[in-house]
Amino acid sequence: MLEALNVSKDFGANRALDKVTLRVKPGEIYCLLGANGAGKTTLINLFLDFIEPTSGEVRINGRKVADDPLSTKRDIAYIPEQVMLYGVLSGIENLKYFAALATGERHSREQLLALLTEAGLPEAAADGRVSTYSKGMRQKVGIAIALAKNAKALLLDEPTSGLDPKAASEFSQLLAKARDRGVAVLTTTHDLFHAKQTGTRIGIMKQGRLVADLSSQDLSHTDLETLYLQHMAA
Amino acid sequence: MIRLIAQREFTEFVRDGRLLWAGGIMLLLIVTALGVGWQRQSHLHAERHAAQHLDYEDWLKQDERHPHDAAHQGMHVFKPEPPLSIIDPGIGPYVGSTIWLQAHRQSEVKFRPAQDATGLQRFGTFSAAWLVQILAPLLIIVFGFNAFAGERELGTLRQLMSLGVSSRALLWGKALALAMGIGVLLVPGVVVAAAAVVIESEPGRLLDSALRFLMLGLAYAVYLAITVFVVLAVSARASSSRVALISLLALWIVGVLLAPRVMSDLSRHVYPSPSRTEFASDLSTDLKSEHDKAWREQFGVSTGWGPDLPLSKWGVALQVNDHVGYGVLDRHFGALWDTFEKQQRMQEWAGLLIPVLAVRSLSMGLSGTDFVQHRDFSVAAERQRRVVQDIMSHDLIDHADPLGDRHFAYQADKELWAKVPPFDYQTPSLAVVLRHHWSGFAILSAVLAAAVALALLFVPRRLPL
Repeated sequence: MLEALNVSKDFGANRALDKVTLRVKPGEIYCLLGANGAGKTTLINLFLDFIEPTSGEVRINGRKVADDPLSTKRDIAYIPEQVMLYGVLSGIENLKYFAALATGERHSREQLLALLTEAGLPEAAADGRVSTYSKGMRQKVGIAIALAKNAKALLLDEPTSGLDPKAASEFSQLLAKARDRGVAVLTTTHDLFHAKQTGTRIGIMKQGRLVADLSSQDLSHTDLETLYLQHMAA
Repeated sequence: MIRLIAQREFTEFVRDGRLLWAGGIMLLLIVTALGVGWQRQSHLHAERHAAQHLDYEDWLKQDERHPHDAAHQGMHVFKPEPPLSIIDPGIGPYVGSTIWLQAHRQSEVKFRPAQDATGLQRFGTFSAAWLVQILAPLLIIVFGFNAFAGERELGTLRQLMSLGVSSRALLWGKALALAMGIGVLLVPGVVVAAAAVVIESEPGRLLDSALRFLMLGLAYAVYLAITVFVVLAVSARASSSRVALISLLALWIVGVLLAPRVMSDLSRHVYPSPSRTEFASDLSTDLKSEHDKAWREQFGVSTGWGPDLPLSKWGVALQVNDHVGYGVLDRHFGALWDTFEKQQRMQEWAGLLIPVLAVRSLSMGLSGTDFVQHRDFSVAAERQRRVVQDIMSHDLIDHADPLGDRHFAYQADKELWAKVPPFDYQTPSLAVVLRHHWSGFAILSAVLAAAVALALLFVPRRLPL
């Protein structure tokens, strides 16, 4: 479970997060919507211990992140908007490296290829240098890293941004599979359609505050769009 | 985890060509320097062996002649070339390896240019030591400037941190990778150097050479480790890899090229040493004063070697003259050499800020090519000169003085020449060297601790991303 409890974050005089409280339970996909600068990525960064909260606390599976960040990170996987990998290594070498660091285990070539295939990367591309990969291909290696980690929670920062519709759809299917395995997923997005389609819950952020926390089952696409625009205009 | 990180970094060095090009050139230079050093050492060793033998043979084969004439002809003594001079010739190329033992005069040694030498000045002294002291840090900069800054720019640092990799593991892994990179390049050189040292060592001193070699390796390992941690600290702190590279190059220029020169000048300012002319003039004045005093007290004459002194006393006078001079020479040369040692000591302690100075001093010391060991040889040579002088003077007292006015008619034969023993010099043992250079190890260890502390400070638990 991912929990942000009354979390605020200030950057100098600028309050990036203002008393945000949210919980993402196992088997939930929580989509955070909001304009640029609303505080979505700041919230993700708090879960990753990249920054520390000014007040409040962030917990992963009941453990306070600030108390033991290395241990809590073992339970999560993170896929950013642009998965950055080592260009001089191949896709499978990148996966091997990151997976070994994440899990402490050595994976066989077969295991690694299976992970890449599951993530949607063609086997033929696995041995190509990442410097020749498209953004979508890098994203798939990032997904494979997350799969290798077999994490209990996923943190996704605009993961489908820039992906073609097919790749985005495949990604949504992967998320659904993860949800079905009981993984808690927190994802930020600008894509209302993607949020409605994949999310079990949807939060809307504005100026550092969580202004809406909704169940996607109770909303139509139109409702979501209307609500979102109302909050942005308010 | 640390090993994984190191392996990945090392793979990058290999694949992006840094190891191949920068490292290949360095490797080629080191092997060439060792080859040149080995050839030079073998050449000098063979020359010394032959010349020392021939020179002493010439002494023994002299025809019958007045002993003082023989003392003026004198003989040459040759400094043994230490096996590790293959790696670090030190002041050797500047002071030479021969001292002429002649009557009345202690031979001066010319060593200041090398002792004060900086990286720039010593550009001509192409040696493996010079390459490791000056160029190896540059190579570490080329390998490591983007260690953190580059990963931050690329975004992979964020990826790594999200996985739960600790920043400290990253630091040690990257340090290990840099050590592996530089190690791979130095290993062939170390193997060649070790073989050369074993081959060139006298059998009885093989252990001494081996221990010196190991300690030299340790000293350079500490020096390079200092560079590794400074490079990583700067890379972690810098806002971009470009800033890191510029900062590190500036540090290299100042710390390796310019600051040693400044420290050299500063040490001369703090401990001023006389010019050669001043030294010779002061020595002559003091010698004359002491000689005049001795002549007055011993023989009641105001000028030496004049008609007032009967020839029957010229042998005694020669002995008195020499013995009075010994004290003056010891005082003047001792003071001069002490000044040079103080200058060196000051530069060595400046190694706390400029580590290349500490490792340079330690390297020359362990290689047996520093001033302390040259001074030891010079003192031994002077001792031999005095032995020759005393034997000749005694013989004059015994055989020439009794002849009165026919003093100069006396001619000694081969029996006298054979009384002079061959010059037998053993270079100082490692224990002696360590007594002089323990501070070098202490300084390098302290700087390494500071460099590690700096790296730990600049690589906090939560790295700036």
